[in-house]
Amino acid sequence: MTTIDASRPIDLASRPDNYLTHTRGFMSWALTLDHKRIGVMYMVAVLVSFFVGGVFALLVRTELLTPGQTIPGVTADVYNQLFTLHGAIMVFLVIIPSIPAALGNFVLPIMLGAKDVAFPRLNLGSFYLWLFGAAFTLVSLAMGGFDTGWTFYTPYSTTTTAGGVIPVLFGVFILGFSSIFTGMNFVVTVHKLRPPGMTWFRMPLFLWALYSTALIQVLATPVLAITLMLLVVERTINIGIFDPSMGGDPVLFQHFFWFYSHPAVYIMILPAMGIISELISVHAHRHIFGYKFIALSSIAIAIFSFLVWGHHMFASGQSPLLNTLFSLISFSVAIPSAVKVFNWLTTLYKGNISLTTPMMYALSFLVLFTIGGLTGLHLATLNTDVHLHDTYFVVAHFHYVMMGSALIGMIGGLHHWWPKMTGKMYSERTGTAACIIIFIGFNVTFFTQFFLGSQGMPRRYYDYQPEFQVYHVISTIGSYIMASGFLLTAYCLITSLFSGKKAAANPWGGGSLEWQCASPPPHDNFATQPSVGDCYDFRAMKWDEATQGYEIDPALAAEAAKHPLH
Amino acid sequence: MIPAFHTIAATLAADASPTGTVWLPPAASTLAGNVDAMFNAINYICYFFFAVIVVAMVYFVVKYRARKGQAFRSDAPLHNLPLETTWGAVPLLIVIGIFYVGFRDYLNMSTPPKNAYVVQVTAQKWAWNFKYPTGATSDDLYVPAGRPVQLTMRASDVLHCCYIPDFRVKKDLVPGRYSYLWFQADEPTPSGQGHHLFCTEYCGTGHSNMNRKVYVLPEADFDKWLTEQGQWLDKIPEEELFFRAGPKIYARCQQCHALDGTKGIGPSWKGIWARTHGGEGSDQKFADGSSYASLIGPGKKYATPEDYLRNSILNPGSELVSGYGNAMPSFKGQLNDKAIDAVIGMMQHMDDFDPKTGKYLKEAPVAPKVSMK
Repeated sequence: MTTIDASRPIDLASRPDNYLTHTRGFMSWALTLDHKRIGVMYMVAVLVSFFVGGVFALLVRTELLTPGQTIPGVTADVYNQLFTLHGAIMVFLVIIPSIPAALGNFVLPIMLGAKDVAFPRLNLGSFYLWLFGAAFTLVSLAMGGFDTGWTFYTPYSTTTTAGGVIPVLFGVFILGFSSIFTGMNFVVTVHKLRPPGMTWFRMPLFLWALYSTALIQVLATPVLAITLMLLVVERTINIGIFDPSMGGDPVLFQHFFWFYSHPAVYIMILPAMGIISELISVHAHRHIFGYKFIALSSIAIAIFSFLVWGHHMFASGQSPLLNTLFSLISFSVAIPSAVKVFNWLTTLYKGNISLTTPMMYALSFLVLFTIGGLTGLHLATLNTDVHLHDTYFVVAHFHYVMMGSALIGMIGGLHHWWPKMTGKMYSERTGTAACIIIFIGFNVTFFTQFFLGSQGMPRRYYDYQPEFQVYHVISTIGSYIMASGFLLTAYCLITSLFSGKKAAANPWGGGSLEWQCASPPPHDNFATQPSVGDCYDFRAMKWDEATQGYEIDPALAAEAAKHPLH
Repeated sequence: MIPAFHTIAATLAADASPTGTVWLPPAASTLAGNVDAMFNAINYICYFFFAVIVVAMVYFVVKYRARKGQAFRSDAPLHNLPLETTWGAVPLLIVIGIFYVGFRDYLNMSTPPKNAYVVQVTAQKWAWNFKYPTGATSDDLYVPAGRPVQLTMRASDVLHCCYIPDFRVKKDLVPGRYSYLWFQADEPTPSGQGHHLFCTEYCGTGHSNMNRKVYVLPEADFDKWLTEQGQWLDKIPEEELFFRAGPKIYARCQQCHALDGTKGIGPSWKGIWARTHGGEGSDQKFADGSSYASLIGPGKKYATPEDYLRNSILNPGSELVSGYGNAMPSFKGQLNDKAIDAVIGMMQHMDDFDPKTGKYLKEAPVAPKVSMK
């Protein structure tokens, strides 16, 4: 790797023409091929879905305040629809597209030094598929909803009388293609559109993470599509594939489903890990520690993700031999995850840490992911999983990973790139306060659920034994705290659009290419071909009071050039 | 290395508590000790790594905070191969150890002993049926203390899962397959207190109420209970059947059928006698457009109302009352003729039962000669 080249062309001067003002009018957005606009549209869509899924979560938590019925009108059947909707919306409409399709779309081409993704039309198509998928979910609600759980286990899903099962299966099928389109686009973009000098090992770690994710999206999602189609075929024209009363095998469905849905967990967490690599090094103003180990561990996780699906099925009646193999391989995921955590931690060592809002989210991620990862040990171990499977312990574990890690990483990334996307700075004080409230609320909500689960409280229960109530009450209070944190975040970001200070091109001191173009970036990203250095070498960065951002100081750059880092 | 794991596991097994801990419910089976030891061992590993990571994080954040006006330091290491290899390798060794101990114990858990006492279990929406080698059946699970018990399980509609937290055992019931689960409980349960048995595979409306109790009886008491259980229905005289046996059998129906006229998953039993006997409500329609009046009577599909009621219990899908789904499983093989007589008798005397609890009101309850427990 080379050191920073002080003479590299940088269009730091904020030009009046940016991607937001380049063209105007509804159609200029609806038919845009600009990856940045598509990313912004995805972001709005994902955040709206997050709000809806969050409302369902609060209804579920409120209903669980007391055993039996708590909210008038919420019967067992209504409750079953509520938790199903919460799960399906959060997984398929929010977390899976949140980082790759929303943040990734905006950032990936700029970080790479490209003008756009490889297939801009496919990119727009992916967004419209997402909209169609979401519309099918709404249609499903109008047709009687669905109460199958987001896992659609057969034969319940093929026999339930809820009217909305078929439309939602089509909806998820379509959302799958939206995900595949994004994945294909990213794989090709990373392979083909890297500018001169952007070698694989000069790519920011977020791009390694998005690339690994894209591989999983392309390889695993078709299996989900096929499985859902088989389910539709069984439910509509009674061809027995999964239902034993028609000669099928319900355990086969679980294999098919988890063959996608376990890798999907890594579709959610890998990009968040990539974001954390960026946040920690940029806001600690310190070269990332162990770049290659972090980069390659993303690929390792992507590969392992395909080999561990059976650990969701230790109690399903699959053979003890299979259970043993899946348990052993599941543990292997712990190694690249541990390597990442230790490398992030060491990146703080001898750093220059600014406790900005994105950094607060990164630190939250470190704590929450550590808890989520470590409690995975209880669940990968065969004899303890027998006790914990399908209890609130699992609920707590996957919320620590999918929400505490993937979503917190996403929100951290949103705060990190917000000045770049909007050209506005939000209030650091409000942003940090919201982050702390969310962190506290999250732990009150979900750490309590570890106790619930290990004490034997099964998941997906509308009614429960009175001895569990105290935990449920604490958990519900935590969810209200968390919700108020998210509302404060929304307030902080939305008000910044109107009254936020103008953002500098490089407000944090980042070294990757997106900080070299103006905030917000111009339509074409770069006026000239950017030149590429070590994006984690921050030695030449100097705070400029006038622009309220970081600039490359020629004297420091010259000094840095004398002492190559490698 | 492996003997070391054994030693650690044996030491930790002493942690299993019969009264439960903050993390775990009471340990009430012979399998629970090892599971709890593993759980606690993993907890200690988690506490250690969590403390290391959080303490280091907080320390670094405090010590290496950026100070205003100070130039950034740049003496930090970029990578360190021995260090990075070490923190890949140490967790690897630890997880191999965890895997091995968990796997060894899991083999014990998944291999029922040859001399186990076998109970046949059938799960359906939303009830459990336990059938003993003598042919006796029960809704709660009764097992002899100090003897391995094997549950041979099947589901008759959708997936269910049998979970007994105090025993640390769990296994799915899959339609079209048999699955096994075994345990041995040495301590009898105190009178009236059983261990929870939950369904932990989501199965719809009544999922969270599909739970029962497990009673562990000393061997002699168990044999006595089994004998009585096999005969309890036979010992009740015909004329007392409807109020002695009816409410007990109704306990399996109350999930879906209310007595006070409330619409449940199925229709309420209130007024069912009048409906089927050409009285009030006999114009109630079925899904296919027919009605009680058009189906029941001499020369019609059901010559007597009793024929209709009996068929509704054994072939519930054949006529669906309009407005209700086909949710009821068949009770063929689970309720014999005498039990069905008791249910029909109860329907006939509906006014004599408390519409909320199903308790018989008319007669001061006589201490029953035989109890179902």
